[in-house]
Amino acid sequence: MPPFSLVTPTSVEEAVAELRTVAPGEVAVLAGGTDLSFDLDRAGPSLRRVLSLRRLPWRTLDWNGPVLTVGSTLPLRSLEEDPGISRRHPGLYQAIRAVGGVPLRHRATLGGNLGRASPASDLLPVLLVLDAEVDLVGPAGSRSVGVDRFLLGPRRTVLAHDELIRSVRFPEPRPSAYLWQRVRPANDISQIAVAAAFSPSERRWRLAVGGIPPRATRLPDAEQRLASSVAPTDPELRPMAEEASRQLPIAGDRRRASEEYRRHLVGVLLSRAVRAAAAHLSEGAR
Amino acid sequence: MTHRPLSIAVNGTARSLDDVPDSERLLDTIRWRLGLKGTKEGCRSGECGACTVLVDGVSTLSCLTLSREVDGTSLTTVEGVADDPVGKEVAEAFARAGAVQCGYCTPGFVMALVGLLKERGRSATVEELLADLGGNLCRCTGYLSIARAVALLSRESP
Repeated sequence: MPPFSLVTPTSVEEAVAELRTVAPGEVAVLAGGTDLSFDLDRAGPSLRRVLSLRRLPWRTLDWNGPVLTVGSTLPLRSLEEDPGISRRHPGLYQAIRAVGGVPLRHRATLGGNLGRASPASDLLPVLLVLDAEVDLVGPAGSRSVGVDRFLLGPRRTVLAHDELIRSVRFPEPRPSAYLWQRVRPANDISQIAVAAAFSPSERRWRLAVGGIPPRATRLPDAEQRLASSVAPTDPELRPMAEEASRQLPIAGDRRRASEEYRRHLVGVLLSRAVRAAAAHLSEGAR
Repeated sequence: MTHRPLSIAVNGTARSLDDVPDSERLLDTIRWRLGLKGTKEGCRSGECGACTVLVDGVSTLSCLTLSREVDGTSLTTVEGVADDPVGKEVAEAFARAGAVQCGYCTPGFVMALVGLLKERGRSATVEELLADLGGNLCRCTGYLSIARAVALLSRESP
């Protein structure tokens, strides 16, 4: 590994100032390190600094009425263990459980997952259907960006060189589900993954797909097919599944699975995810 | 580059380590600097769980962790649980079930299980424990004997 130096600022101001002292390619931001570590091994001599967020006061989880705010460096395992998550955001809970094993989730973070923007991320599809907002902090102050706008492409986000992810906000609990298909169930990357959530305030379904390049993405045309039906019946799900299969943006990509297989899977998994989310809803909106 | 010494309590003994580079992984510190070879290097990419240790009692993949990130913490390796009541229970369960074949994955399984049992005692079902061991790979046993050992540590076990 290259001899970079590790910096562990104790305040946000110090962290942002530190980012401004080095050129963009010379610094990497470290949250849990479960994904960044691969890059640290391969990094050339241009990587001079690794900025660790571990001393910043961002390992937080707050419920404020319906709004859930998760600090960017809270370990995923802590989020998973909060009883409110499985109850109020079941899809988020399922997506977290799909990330690595327990020891990995003791270090992996929501902020790291967003900042690294892996096309294979298990969390991004669910963040999309929950309309999560990403709170950023930089030299000019704070700003918030919806996840859909935050993600630009594989490993690319709107995060400026001198900005950090402070927290992620979820505006309301939603009946939701996350489902994936893999070669091996544990510790594998999904060939395709889907998320579905019903917004009670807007009475609308949101659908997203992940595990495919270039990035996790919403499927608005498939969403349209579900209209405002809280518990879609099989005849209502079929056009949604067909639309999702057509709309899936994976032309030509054969990594991990063929295009044909993925087009088939996306419809099957989305139908199951919508049914699972609707089942949560019928258990009583909580 | 000059560094402060790295202070960690290793299996209950305070240690101060000089000249640990910022880029060094905890796995390498444990095996090569501390000479504790019970912790294994498997994939070095967070996929196999062979390098699992406890940091402040919490199971952690030492291959994905920079040593400097655990400065000031308490580290427990497989050598450190031999005399621990939970560690003994896990070792006995593995022995009774014959859950060890080549043995390379065993320290990782033991540490992940010790971490889970310390987290929630005997409250977990076999199914829950097995799901939470999904990050540990074994290429010899076919998992059946490991699952039998896990069953002995579950809530269903008398």
